Amino acid sequence: MRKFLAALLALAPMVAAAQDPAVPIFTEQSAASGLTTAYLGDWQYMVGGGAAVFDCDADGRLDVFLAGGEGPAGLYRNRSEAGGDLRFEPVAGMNLTAVAGGYPLDVDSDGVTDLMVLRVGENHLMRGLGDCQFENANSQWGFDGGDAWSTAFSATWEPGATWPTLAVGNYVNRFEEAFPWGSCTDNWLHRPNAEGTGFAAPLPLTPSFCALSILFSDWNGSGIRDLRVSNDREYYKGGTEQMWHVAPGAEPRLYIEKEGWKRLRIWGMGIASRDLDADGFTELYLTAMADNKLQVLNKPAEGAPLLPQYSDQAFKRGATAHRPYTGGDLRPSTAWHAQFEDVNNDGLADLFVVKGNVAKMPDFAADDPNNLMLQRPDGSFFEAGALAGVASMKVGRGGALADFNNDGWLDMLVTNRWEAPQVWRNDGTGVDARWIAVDLQQAGSNRNAIGAVVELRTDPPQRREVTVGGGHAGGQLGPLHFGIDAAEAADVRVIWPDGTVGVWAEVRAGETAVLAN
Amino acid sequence: MEPLRLTGAKRAGPSRRALLLGAASMALLAGAPALALSDTRSTEVLGTWYKLLLELIRHTATYSPPVASRAFAYLGVAVFEAVASGDPALRSLAGQVNGLTAGPVRENAAYDEACVLHGALVHALNAHFGNTGPTGQRAMAAMTERLGAVAGAGVAPDVMARSLGFGTAISEHILKWSATDGGAVIENMGFPYEYTLGAQPSSWAPTSTVAVQQRPLLPNWGNNRAFTLPADDPCGLPLPTAYSEEPTSAFYAEAMEVYEVSKTLTDEQKSIARFWSDDPMLSPTPPGHWISIALQIFERDAVPLALRAETMALLGMAIADGFIACWRSKFEVDLLRPITYIRRLIDKKWEPLLNTPPFPEFPSGHSTQSGAAAGVLAALYGTNFAFTDATHEDDGIAPRDFASFQAAAEEAAISRLFGGIHFRPGIEMGLVQGACVAGHVLKVNTRA
Repeated sequence: MRKFLAALLALAPMVAAAQDPAVPIFTEQSAASGLTTAYLGDWQYMVGGGAAVFDCDADGRLDVFLAGGEGPAGLYRNRSEAGGDLRFEPVAGMNLTAVAGGYPLDVDSDGVTDLMVLRVGENHLMRGLGDCQFENANSQWGFDGGDAWSTAFSATWEPGATWPTLAVGNYVNRFEEAFPWGSCTDNWLHRPNAEGTGFAAPLPLTPSFCALSILFSDWNGSGIRDLRVSNDREYYKGGTEQMWHVAPGAEPRLYIEKEGWKRLRIWGMGIASRDLDADGFTELYLTAMADNKLQVLNKPAEGAPLLPQYSDQAFKRGATAHRPYTGGDLRPSTAWHAQFEDVNNDGLADLFVVKGNVAKMPDFAADDPNNLMLQRPDGSFFEAGALAGVASMKVGRGGALADFNNDGWLDMLVTNRWEAPQVWRNDGTGVDARWIAVDLQQAGSNRNAIGAVVELRTDPPQRREVTVGGGHAGGQLGPLHFGIDAAEAADVRVIWPDGTVGVWAEVRAGETAVLAN
Repeated sequence: MEPLRLTGAKRAGPSRRALLLGAASMALLAGAPALALSDTRSTEVLGTWYKLLLELIRHTATYSPPVASRAFAYLGVAVFEAVASGDPALRSLAGQVNGLTAGPVRENAAYDEACVLHGALVHALNAHFGNTGPTGQRAMAAMTERLGAVAGAGVAPDVMARSLGFGTAISEHILKWSATDGGAVIENMGFPYEYTLGAQPSSWAPTSTVAVQQRPLLPNWGNNRAFTLPADDPCGLPLPTAYSEEPTSAFYAEAMEVYEVSKTLTDEQKSIARFWSDDPMLSPTPPGHWISIALQIFERDAVPLALRAETMALLGMAIADGFIACWRSKFEVDLLRPITYIRRLIDKKWEPLLNTPPFPEFPSGHSTQSGAAAGVLAALYGTNFAFTDATHEDDGIAPRDFASFQAAAEEAAISRLFGGIHFRPGIEMGLVQGACVAGHVLKVNTRA
């Protein structure tokens, strides 16, 4: 029976029904891409392995920083021609090892993107100097990089602040050999210093429960970005998923049961976020082992307060991604990086999940293909990884969907444990589905408008919150991509981080609009 | 974990079983002081390996409660056989428990008992947890080295090598025996790839949104070879209350009890429910909870090595046979959980305090195995043996005091009502079933 089931599974994804979304065809270009940084190392590098995607040389193309674990991290300049093959070339000079991940952001608001580097050891805030050159700015900015097994990151600009507030998620005490369980080390909150020149000493976010992904998000539309923390239950004792109140001028404080917070204990590994139904509240996809959660905020009865309570709709909407969908390995999956993006430009956010065994755990799939779940109009998801040509069986960790060759179709990057990364060019669906991109810019601090919300008057409407964080050990900074299906243009407006509501502006299909505040 | 806090009287007179066990355990029960010096290395080896064992149970994905109970039983038997092989006062379990034949025999040469025990445990843990993750593998490697140094302190190299080899041989013998019991291979974390759900209104139905849990856990576990249950008395149970959806029916009343209790839970009842929740992957599971209780008593009372070995063997088998008997009943009856019934007929939005486990309701597994565990421990240590249980202290759950093992088992059982995951008959009949299992386990003679 098991063999029969495996055979059925192997065949099932090869057929798409008429009502299913148009499937983009991806062409793997890993070998010739120039990307070679494998995520190396043993126990201390079983998690991490993230990718940071941003334009470090201001040429309008998205460059790539790759964690290397025990090997050197890699920084690559994007040399892809518009609509052409995906090509990258290494940039010398970073010389970083023990790197688990990276997130781009403009820390000092000088218009040049900086890079937060998560490490097993001291974290580095790398100040961007332009032309993909960086310098360690820990000392210059008063940033205490600590000494931990850092695995997660998020950033926000608290109201009125000119410097960001940075949150770092940390994992197990790596020096514990025989009894590491229960030894989760504190996460840190790095707030700006009073002088406005950098950072104050970090605050420990106690208790901490081995975070593998964290995200500042305005979950309730209050204008305050609280910190959602997804924790790995493998190592905590007495732990749960967490959310911290991070109110300006106040000590961070956990959401508790009396406020409606409900205990959820999963092997939390990654967070993807998107307001899938444009109702004003961001949905979350939480990756784990053998099960993944699609969390939708419960709407209160009329007159009742909005509580931080979510229902899990992954099963109902076909997004559990709990075991391989092709290849015949029926064992449960292990999921890491996750990201919502519209890969077929039909105006509906799709879901990308990177998969890979922790190491060689025999109870979990060894051949565990990455997922590309296309969203249907009814909100359910259709697994298209095999049809799209991205069902890699390598041991994945980090990843990114990004338009590396500026053709309006989001390409795919996956980092792998022990092997070189993979990259696929999105060759489109063959359908005339269109796109726009939006590049947010602010004067003064928070140049990239982290915390803003972008709304589109499309059918159906679209809405997304601009964040730095989540995923698995890696993030992106660049123009925001939206599919608009067959429309020739879309009306766009921005609700800026300070609450200012912008005017609706028409953006023509195929254009990247710079929207400034 | 901090040392146990003593509460009340340790005991109120020896049990019948203690009398049967003879002088060694009687000395303990009379408050005898220290361990023999020759036992101290062995007890450290045993206690530390078991501490790691509880973590491995918690952190290995296949170790649902039935699977955990099986590991505790085989490891307990391996420990007992290792200790018994060097203690003429103990009697091997070969020929006494189902399918176990005589194991390896010592040469006419010197052995070190701590090294024998260490050899057996190294092999047994690696055999049972070869599938654990990289952190567990790293921990086992570290523990092998660390406890090898403890066991081998002052032991001649040739004696150490011979002893480790003999311990390994004992464990290999036990492992070979275990391979044929029906529970050795766990796929898909215990959830069958194919399963036809019952079609009756009373049939168990999935209760979670977790995809693999749309089928019940280990539906064939009740067919496994038991350790002590005879074929003619597998501790079966009478059928529970007849299913009915009539508001005047007894079954409806049982569901209403679960519902109403959930609406009026006191803080104490919530504490009890959470104390015994013992969720897999988040605790050492219900079987591990009772093993933890035994380990705490070992340390508190400086229990002699022989009695520690007897405890681990008998307690392990009681728990394992409890799960086999319970699972047989569960899938014979195939009863739905309270959450299914209550949401169907009483309150569509009802949420129990605890997550509902993914398998049929009747009887309560925690009740059965707790009843079995309490029966065995009472026989070994006394019927009114008071203790404090700090199993979950590391998880921030306060210790609880119990006047007897039976009191603890009854609290574990009723906790499932407070948690909203069992009807009362499943709880009460679980305890009955557990007592039956304990009766069979206690027929095993551990003393020569």
